[in-house]
Amino acid sequence: MDATLSETQRLLRDSLRDYLRREVPFDRIRELERAGGMDEALWGHLRDAGFLGLPFAERHGGEAGELADAAILLEELTRRACIVPFLETVAAALALERHGDEAIADEIVRGVIGGTVTLAPAPSAADADVPAVAGGALDGEGRFVDYGAEVTHHLVEAVADGEPGLWLVDARGAGVRAEPLQTIARTPQAHVRYAAAPARRAGGAEALQFLRRAGRALCAVQCAAAAQQALDMTVEYTGMRVQFGRPIGSFQAVQHHCADMATQTLAARFLAFRAIWNLDQGRASDREIAKAKALASRAATEVTMQAHILHGGIGYTEEYDLHFFSRRGKERALAWGAAGECLALVAATLDEVRPWR
Amino acid sequence: MEFGWSEELETFRAEVREFLREVDTPALRAELASRMETASLSPERQRVRDALEERGWARMCWPPELGGEGRSQWFQFVLTEEFARAEIPFGAGFGSMVGPAIQRFGTEAQREKYLPGIWSNEITLCLGYSEPNAGTDLAALETLAVRDGDDWLINGQKLWTSAADTASHVWLAARTDPDAPKHRGISTFIVPMDTPGISVRGIMTMGGARTNEVFFEDARVPGDALIGEVNRGWYIIANALDHERVWIGAGGGLRHTFDRLLAHLRERRPELLEDAAVRARLVELELDLDVMEGLVLTNASIVAAGDTPTMEASMSKIWTSDLRYRISSVAMELLGREGALAEESGDCAPLAGELERIYRNSPVQRFGGGTNDVQRDIIARRGLGLPR
Repeated sequence: MDATLSETQRLLRDSLRDYLRREVPFDRIRELERAGGMDEALWGHLRDAGFLGLPFAERHGGEAGELADAAILLEELTRRACIVPFLETVAAALALERHGDEAIADEIVRGVIGGTVTLAPAPSAADADVPAVAGGALDGEGRFVDYGAEVTHHLVEAVADGEPGLWLVDARGAGVRAEPLQTIARTPQAHVRYAAAPARRAGGAEALQFLRRAGRALCAVQCAAAAQQALDMTVEYTGMRVQFGRPIGSFQAVQHHCADMATQTLAARFLAFRAIWNLDQGRASDREIAKAKALASRAATEVTMQAHILHGGIGYTEEYDLHFFSRRGKERALAWGAAGECLALVAATLDEVRPWR
Repeated sequence: MEFGWSEELETFRAEVREFLREVDTPALRAELASRMETASLSPERQRVRDALEERGWARMCWPPELGGEGRSQWFQFVLTEEFARAEIPFGAGFGSMVGPAIQRFGTEAQREKYLPGIWSNEITLCLGYSEPNAGTDLAALETLAVRDGDDWLINGQKLWTSAADTASHVWLAARTDPDAPKHRGISTFIVPMDTPGISVRGIMTMGGARTNEVFFEDARVPGDALIGEVNRGWYIIANALDHERVWIGAGGGLRHTFDRLLAHLRERRPELLEDAAVRARLVELELDLDVMEGLVLTNASIVAAGDTPTMEASMSKIWTSDLRYRISSVAMELLGREGALAEESGDCAPLAGELERIYRNSPVQRFGGGTNDVQRDIIARRGLGLPR
């Protein structure tokens, strides 16, 4: 047990943090949000720096690192409001590597590490036409597919002969139509329609379960990161902003909000990383991940919005950077299972609570 | 980053559990039920302590030069956690906070003089901090210690001195320079309670425990009663308080209370568990416990790495103490009138009266050890760096 970063992890974090500080100013994020699409230049750096291979096995050309290492990078990317399909690509490729078809996994993971493959998971939605595969052709729709129009491949949750599984679809091939959606996050998302899209079966129920778990746990890290960034900005701003002849951060009312925000954020981050670590070790439960995501979702919502209240007018402006985290934080709070969905799972499985340790 | 328990610690945990099963006798339970919340160990608790010493677990995490084995603090953490789970009080008094302070700030001679006794509980401690006019504003304390030759002469009054009636020593904060700014004129002492001039008067509390007033009238102690540099006591106190907060957080045992609540609902009130609204409230408590665990383990990680948590210790203290109130209050509400039943009601009391007892003593957890709003000040100022 050790909740602190290892020396290697600290170096990893600092290396990406320094790069982002230098090369990805928030005005660049503004441009990207306006223009749409993903940050290709940043993706190129992630590839060149070897960041795309961290959690993958050596047999696929990876670094055989931990999923937590990738999560540490994701945290930094989120704290800079970067627009890259990192979570999506890592979660999908890892699901294939750990539980999917070995030949496809080898091709896809090598492609990811080489920068030629990016992935978008297309989970099924209750209120949509669940994709079905027959004779290698996939029909149906994927709702809320993050980076659906930007990536090279979709990993589609679909059913064949009544069996759920994951199918790999060439996103730029025949039979795939991605209609862009605009969300509160202003990051790429698409409603995808598949019409006889050629699909390869890439994994079964286990791969699907891993993808859902990894997506949810990594999304919890993003939620905690949005909260952390909003908190740090609030501490910095209220420490400087003078009213009534003193920095507003010296008022107890402000300080106590910050203290509670910090507590909520620290716990959300701990639990998100613990879920990631347990998942990586093959011993996470849906229940643990759901609890971590529920708490992180709340932090992403409550801490970022409280940050606005403490900032006042300046934080409400487009030119200030806080809205990246409150908008994105709320969107991430809903992605991969909103708090309500997660808590319903936890409540339904209350009988699984075992005596402590 | 690593969130699993090593095999070594898992084995140790199993050993501690086995140990606790062995020492958990009806005589011990009877003694605990008689609410002897005192510093010196009642006979059965002394027996547990002796058995602990025999196993070599009482000082295993202390450095070898002080008679310890220098084991990782995680062993201490597991030990404390398992005692809490078994609902057997661990040690007594404040040795776990004063010990580290003496280790860090005392002289070689003082370490040798006091630490072995603190281990074995031959030295038991009470905290001489609060006074009638110095509560949350502890630095306003007025008890005076004046040099008299090689000795110190102490005069004044302490309040809320729990265990003063049974402790062998008081860990005392006293003013040594009345002219200095209030934080810079305080020193810390370790004073035998049988020193002539010290008298104790008891005060009963709603939580069931006794606390005390302590009076000092020309109490004379030798020069080596001073721990650390003169007038540097505030720093030492702050350091020691951080240690206290860590263990307040770790010793909660609340997770076990939640387990017992679920067991009670399953066995005696299954109809409540069918209710979606009840389940939703239980889930919220479970999330709160996860948060507590995250904060406690974060603290323990910092301690195990050889650092002293500050902000994190305060977070853990606030959360755990608030949660003591919340769990007991919500659980009592879910159970309805049954929830109010105390231990004395016998078998019909849920969780053997634990809910009622936790609820009743939850206020002192929240305002004691530095009230929770002061903890928020500490998080904001010392942790986040917000201006004063």
